[in-house]
This record gives sequence, C-alpha cells and structure tokens, in this order.
Amino acid sequence: MAVYVYSIVGKEHPLRLDDFAGVGDPPSPLRTVTSGSLAAVVSDAPEGLRPKRRDLTAHQEVQTRLMADGAVLPLRFGLTAPDDDAVREALDERATEYADRLGALEGCAEYNLKVKQDEEALLRQILEDSPEARELNDAVRGGTAGPDVSLALGELVAGEVDARHASLAAGVVEALRPFSRDQQTSQPSGEDFLSVSFLVAEEQEELFLATEMSVANQMGEDFEFRLNGPLPPYSFV
Amino acid sequence: MTVVPQGGGGVARGGGSSSLYDVLELILDRGLVIDVFVRVSLVGIEILRIDARIVVASVDTYLRFAEACNRLDLEGGKQPSQLTDLVGDTVEKGAHGKSKGALSGAVEAVTDSMKGGGDEDEEEEREEEEQEEREPAARRRRTTSRRPRRSREREEE
Repeated sequence: MAVYVYSIVGKEHPLRLDDFAGVGDPPSPLRTVTSGSLAAVVSDAPEGLRPKRRDLTAHQEVQTRLMADGAVLPLRFGLTAPDDDAVREALDERATEYADRLGALEGCAEYNLKVKQDEEALLRQILEDSPEARELNDAVRGGTAGPDVSLALGELVAGEVDARHASLAAGVVEALRPFSRDQQTSQPSGEDFLSVSFLVAEEQEELFLATEMSVANQMGEDFEFRLNGPLPPYSFV
Repeated sequence: MTVVPQGGGGVARGGGSSSLYDVLELILDRGLVIDVFVRVSLVGIEILRIDARIVVASVDTYLRFAEACNRLDLEGGKQPSQLTDLVGDTVEKGAHGKSKGALSGAVEAVTDSMKGGGDEDEEEEREEEEQEEREPAARRRRTTSRRPRRSREREEE
C-alpha cells in the first residue's frame, strides 16, 4: 500500500500526534517510519488524492503540530512512496543531509509576507508625478485620442507601476533582512507586489515582528501587509 | 508557541482558510522533495495559480491600466470644462463601488472559492468560477465592495 509522507524529524522528536489525522476521507491515521537518527511521519495514502482544502489543511496541521516540539523538514504536499521500506531507504540515502538541515533549522520558523498597494492610490501618484502620463490621460479622457494613445498611456503607467513596486519590495526586504537568517522571494500573485519568506530564529522573532509592523505603519494606509507565521520552514528545506 | 489543533491549525495567528490561501504556494511549491517519491496530480490547482499571476507587459494590461487611469477622479486636476469631462465624472462616481481596477480579479475569484464551503467538488467549482471570471477579463467590473485596506493576518497580543 502506498504511503503518504508528511515530514522528516529527528528520532528524538516527541511526535505528539495522537489527536491528529492525515489526508484522505476518512482521514488516515498517522504513524512513523524510523531509520537511524531520523523519523518520517506518514499515513496510508488515500486513493485518488487531490489537493482539496481538507487535505492541504491536514498536511499543514501535521507540520505545525510537529514544529511546536522541535525542528521539522516539511515535505511538499502530495508526495507518496510505494511502501514503508521505500521511505526507510529514502531516509538512509540522505541521512546526513537531512540531519544537518534539521540541525540548522532548530529554533527557527518561516514567516511569509505579502504586500499589496491600493491601485487607485498608486495610479494617482503616478499621474501626479509624471506630466507625460497626465498629458496622455487628458488626451484619452478628452475623447480626441486614438487607441494608440491609450496604449502608450498604459505602457508608461505599467512601467512606472513595475519600477515603483520593485523598489518598494526591495526596501521592505532590506528592512527585515537583519532580523532573519535567510530569505526567499517568490513570484507575487494577484495584486501583491511582494511575496517573500524569512527564516526567523526564535531569539530574533520579537525584533522581526516589531520591525515588520513599523515598516507597515510607515508605508501607510495604501498598503496591505499580510504576514503569516510562524510557519513550518517550507522555503528553507 | 501555541498551536491550535483545529481550524487554521496555527497556520497564522488568527488562522482560517484565507491564510491557507496565502500559504498555499508554500505547501504546494516549497517543501522538501524526495526524488524517488511520486507526486499526486495537482493539475486543477496549478492551472488556477498560473492564471492568477499578472502579466504586466501585455497589451491587455496596458489597456486596463489606461482605463483605470481614465476613471480616476483627479483632485486638483483639470476642472471639467468640457461636457465629456462632466459625463466622465458622473459615470465614474456611479461606478465607483464596482471599479476594482486593473490588478484585481482572478486572484479574488480564487480567494473567494477558497473561503467557500469545503465540498467534494470544490475543485470543479473553482474551475467553473475561473471560467466565468476569464471571459470578461478585459473589462472587468467587480461588484464587491472595497475590503478594508489593511487586514492583519495575525493578532497582536
């Protein structure tokens, strides 16, 4: 029977998972496969598993439960091995690497920050700052300009939006970098212009959070900061 | 550290499915990968997430930005001396609540469906919603009211 694999932890991890269930409907009971100094948290893999909210949440909750008691290497959602022996082999094959990584992540958590800016405020700012954009905008609004003027306006504005967001994003990351051990930016989606994860050590957590809040306050009402954490260190395994 | 063993599961302080949405990319795209293991099919969800990304350098985006600029009520701007300006302003005010602008849209649809009920067919529903969303993409007017500009996912103690 195929097994779904959630996480790798050190053998000494207390693995308090009694009240927890895994993916699937009904949820599969969790168990561990150990080898050497490592343990993998697994469950039987349900047939036809898909990334449904219930299963994503189950995967995530196992990680958060485990990280409360020690370092954890969270696996990406949806990985299955043919059987327990295959899990054991996988642990053995990279035992040193996994153990080192667990050591490095001890006492650390991931914080993911996404930032967006109110679009209207940004466009207003751009039109205020750029006489050229204002001119094009007036021409379009006056109804005398052809579609090429709209296109020129849009291109100019899009370029400005990009440039401003890039510089704001860099500023936010720089402000928080000193209070983190590592950073990983990813492609922001939707309206966000920044999506970045920080690996934050326990002793720096307070400063990190205070700085994040102060940066958010400084940037003002037109910005929305969404900070999620402490999270399992998905981005730093 | 406190971990709540149900609901948001300590995903974020103040958890819930909206934070699950915010950490979705981490759960699906990050995390340790073991080469010899097999991964379940994530087809539906990956398509959604690719669609949700903005392509800034495209004609469609340019036109939407231009339209969003045209709709702005520029205070301190030109006084409406022409009839077209006056008409423009009226239309704009009337549409204010529904104008969500160029950057909105796809991702909200995904967020909304993530916040919805957890049914068997949620992926299918999402795909359908996404389809509906995609058609009027160029001239999208959302009817949602503006959300609070700043929502903190975590609660300060």
